[in-house]
Amino acid sequence: MSLEPTAPASAHLRNVDKFYGDFQALKNVTLDIPPGKVTCLIGPSGSGKSTLLRCINFLEEYDSGEVRIDDRLIGYETPGGRRMSGRRLREMRRDIGMVFQQFNLWPHMTALQNVAEGLERVRGLKRAEATERAREALAKVGLADKEANHPSRLSGGQQQRVAIARAIAMQPRIMLFDEPTSALDPELVGEVLAVMKQLAAEGMTMVVVTHEMGFAAHVADRVVFMERGELVAAGAPREIFQNPADQRLASFLQGYRERNSLDF
Amino acid sequence: MFSFQTIVENLPTLLGAARYTLLISVLGCAQGLILGALLCAAALSKRTALRRAAGLYVSFFRGVPLLIQLLVAYYLLPVVGINVPPLAAAVLTVGLCAAAYLSEVLRGSINAIPKGQAEAALAIGMTPRDLWVRVLLPQALKIGLPAIVNELILLVKASSLVTVVGIVEITRMSQSIASSTYRYLEIYLAAAFLYLAINLVIAAAGRLLERRLTV
Repeated sequence: MSLEPTAPASAHLRNVDKFYGDFQALKNVTLDIPPGKVTCLIGPSGSGKSTLLRCINFLEEYDSGEVRIDDRLIGYETPGGRRMSGRRLREMRRDIGMVFQQFNLWPHMTALQNVAEGLERVRGLKRAEATERAREALAKVGLADKEANHPSRLSGGQQQRVAIARAIAMQPRIMLFDEPTSALDPELVGEVLAVMKQLAAEGMTMVVVTHEMGFAAHVADRVVFMERGELVAAGAPREIFQNPADQRLASFLQGYRERNSLDF
Repeated sequence: MFSFQTIVENLPTLLGAARYTLLISVLGCAQGLILGALLCAAALSKRTALRRAAGLYVSFFRGVPLLIQLLVAYYLLPVVGINVPPLAAAVLTVGLCAAAYLSEVLRGSINAIPKGQAEAALAIGMTPRDLWVRVLLPQALKIGLPAIVNELILLVKASSLVTVVGIVEITRMSQSIASSTYRYLEIYLAAAFLYLAINLVIAAAGRLLERRLTV
């Protein structure tokens, strides 16, 4: 097997601020993402969960504070200093997998090409080796038989699994999931969550922005609740879901339960 | 009387001249696409200086008639000590002009690509060059294909302007044959059909490519 597990990384955010003009999307957020664990970010839309997630691989440029992968600062050479070079940023991003809400598969490539592209271009593998490893990654998400399909010939759930394969083929040390099931038809959510559970069981460091409270409750090691750019509460799923200490968290969960109750 | 005979007799000469039309169009188009892609990258760059430069370039080459550009190039190049054959000057000028239009077509196409496409490439650590060559341009060419085919057809027709620097292509040749045979209608009709034939081939190739790119 060439898809061997890699040493999981941790991530550390210290006093992170992010502004869009006058609007402050992240307010002094401090959070530790432990290695090999699943951290779920929950909260109302617009609360800054996705922004926070995207700061971890610097797709979103935070304005102040620090974001570190293990002990390495990402995005800047020193805290508050100059932007880090493109080369060093790319080097760090190679180890950070990302899965998007809209999948973002490249439509002009087949499933296999989507997965092999980064291996060839970024990891510098030979075509044959990249193809072999891409096939392995596709097999892992249960799509070995779909390698020749273009994204337009795949269901949403299959597309998202290809996107996960594209990320894991790079053998990342941490994976970021930005609402990975929010764009899916309800009946396709399960197959994606199943792949994510499998990754979690293998000890991948995962940060997951999600509205799937069931997944957060059952798979997360730690749940983080955000509201209006602030980190409001963090703890084990049991603490967060069963004994919400914070009023805003309690009312968020209350609202969720009311919308999802099965009292017909 | 309408004389097919005149057309048949002069067709080889016209076809010979069509070589120049094709040469200028094909080379101009190739240059236009390559330079246009670079200009488009500059226009979308984060660096203000690059964006300004691309903007100035497009304003100039789109804003000045190609005819004037050809004349300027023809008379300017020797003055600044560059002695190139008229054909090279013509190809260069046509390509520079086409690049201005094509860069704008590509810019529009790239803006139509969802932002997530680039984000997915950046997130796995792709270089800006690979992002462009592997992810953005293939999609932009597909989105912009109908407009690009338009530009190429315009280019073939605009190639008739190079007569002002002394190149004898279809239009110039037909004028010359017409004035020596006094068979204006026949010869100009023949020229018209030659242009039409070339452009129909381009249009068909465009449609074929469009179908192939649709998956």
